[in-house]
Amino acid sequence: MSHSTIALCRTPPYGSAIAREGLEAVLTSAAMEQEIDLLFLGDGIFQLLDHQSPEEIGQKSLRRNLLALPMFGIEQVLVCHKSLRDRTITLDQVQIPGVEVKTIREPGTLIAAYHCVLSF
Amino acid sequence: MKFSLAVYSAPYSAQSASSALRFARVLLAQGHEIYRVFFYCDGVQNGNSLTAPPQDETDLIAQWQELQRRYHLDLVICIAAAQRRGVLSEREAKRLEKPAANLADGFELAGLGQLVDAVAHSERLVTFGG
Repeated sequence: MSHSTIALCRTPPYGSAIAREGLEAVLTSAAMEQEIDLLFLGDGIFQLLDHQSPEEIGQKSLRRNLLALPMFGIEQVLVCHKSLRDRTITLDQVQIPGVEVKTIREPGTLIAAYHCVLSF
Repeated sequence: MKFSLAVYSAPYSAQSASSALRFARVLLAQGHEIYRVFFYCDGVQNGNSLTAPPQDETDLIAQWQELQRRYHLDLVICIAAAQRRGVLSEREAKRLEKPAANLADGFELAGLGQLVDAVAHSERLVTFGG
């Protein structure tokens, strides 16, 4: 049986803990050598933006966790094309060094192909 | 079928915490297996033994405990999420030098690896809340 897993990152980086705790689950999964793909969609797109100043609201940077992705063997993340467009964010604003950012036009079809979906 | 549940919401804050319990009950009544229930994010509060709901409201923690005893359920609370939110076992309270422990009987503290393990060993993972 296939055990392919995708994690959906749907929430903005600050304001609630779920984005951070979701990424922690993803990194744990990768550290345990389970294959996991990441799809950023909805307000989850905001997690990818650079130039965040979370210290001004007493938060740790979540982008730092994203920068660790290649160290955990995650070298590609998927980003919903429509979510980018709706927020007038361009692909070059959501880059992570060492990670290929690939846009997805049919997230529903993509998600349906996975055995397990984690949603954060 | 072998299921695991991931619960992200706190009892008495979101309906999804109660839905998780009712879903678990129906699964077991229909003869399905529950490999693990993993409580994460605010869901760790489902294992807080100090919750004291009014008498005319459902005692979710007691009902999880009852289900656990009856079916020997593996109820796992993420230790990192629980520490942040003040759900501590005797051992953790001592180790972190905190004045009290409040992890409810029947629940266990463990790492996020238990969620990854549940994904790998279950035919279905159903998430509540988040």
